[in-house]
Amino acid sequence: MKQIVGVADMKVSNNPGESIITYSLGSCIGLVIYDPAVKVGGILHFMLPDSSIDKQKAAARPYMFADSGIPRLFKSAYQLGGDKKRMNVYVAGGAEILDQQGFFNIGKRNYMALKKMFFKNKVMISKQNVGGNVNRTVRIEIATGDIYVKTSGSGEVKI
Amino acid sequence: MISLQTLVAEVKNLKPIPAVAGQLLAVAEHPDSSMADIAKVIQYDPVITAGVLRTCNSAYFGMKNPVESIKDAVNLLGIDQVIELALLKSGAQTLGGSQKGYGMDEGDMWRYSVSSAVLAKQVAVRLGLKGKNTIFTAALIKDMGKIVLEKYVADASGKITDLVANQHFSFQEAEKKALGIDHAELGAMIAKMWKFSPRMVNIIRHHHLSDETKMADKQIAAVYLADCLSMMLGNGVGADGLAYRFKDQVMTQLGISAVDMSMIIADFGINMQEVETLLQMA
Repeated sequence: MKQIVGVADMKVSNNPGESIITYSLGSCIGLVIYDPAVKVGGILHFMLPDSSIDKQKAAARPYMFADSGIPRLFKSAYQLGGDKKRMNVYVAGGAEILDQQGFFNIGKRNYMALKKMFFKNKVMISKQNVGGNVNRTVRIEIATGDIYVKTSGSGEVKI
Repeated sequence: MISLQTLVAEVKNLKPIPAVAGQLLAVAEHPDSSMADIAKVIQYDPVITAGVLRTCNSAYFGMKNPVESIKDAVNLLGIDQVIELALLKSGAQTLGGSQKGYGMDEGDMWRYSVSSAVLAKQVAVRLGLKGKNTIFTAALIKDMGKIVLEKYVADASGKITDLVANQHFSFQEAEKKALGIDHAELGAMIAKMWKFSPRMVNIIRHHHLSDETKMADKQIAAVYLADCLSMMLGNGVGADGLAYRFKDQVMTQLGISAVDMSMIIADFGINMQEVETLLQMA
């Protein structure tokens, strides 16, 4: 069974028969977490760094923003028995258009927002595939914790 | 280099966007047109009428009674929504299919085009721009040059990839260098052959703003911005990825701040269900 994480969406699972996938990450970020001890994993697909631009939208779609989405992803994994100390963390996406600078560079700002939250909460990124000008699709198999990334125009690669 | 004759022959082989799209735009953008005038143009094309009614009756719009005519649809959804649905339907067949040369699977170009059109509408509304149906349609069909160019891009993929990866070319610049023509130029040529207005041809031709003087034209700037946003959001993006140029000055020109840009992205995120409904028009 394949669980699909849409845009501004999140899924967690502890079902070894499942994989979780999110498609077409441009400047959005796909955050993948996995606890190998209990085989609990999840993906968050967020679009923007900061929910303060629109509190109403953040209430309606908390997974749209890094600051409102990331804590929910971790908490959902904890509810299935996941533990922060054991969590593998993988980050994909955050791409940018050529010459996209400063505040208009949403991809970089998304990544910075994530890093800032991780720094504050002492979370380490295990691996990442971020930035550049490419579109990415990312998938995790719950049974093994294997993560695959596909860049548009090329095949899927296990990371 | 591809000869112009070859390209013209290929364009003639494409299934064109129905003539009703151009007529509908002409009527919709004319200040003296009535709702009846607009409904009449749509009704003239049975395939488009059926497509519009089917979408109106989808769960998303939540109608109590079935919508059975364009007039009903206009009364219930408003003229703007009906025009958009008709324009989308008119592009659906041409923009469907796969474009392997761009790494686009079946339906990817359609997803990308519909997302761009919805974003362009948001930009036009937010900025109060004139000609919002033209902006919407231009954003929808701006990449149709890729439909013809894709096999040449596939043949030259080694060279194009090298230019983009190692020589700081944008994908469009690499197309031009490798093939002598890029997808924006070819798209404009197609629009011209299909008798779209000079306005539409011009927007398509300049939708990546390789000629920066064109950013003074707000309709071109709006379609350009919608394209950038669509690339960033990633829906249906191909192997060309985000390898196009971002021009800060356009944002100043349009009066768009980084916060505005985030708000448009957030609105799009909220309206994903609408986009999914519109995608069903293919």
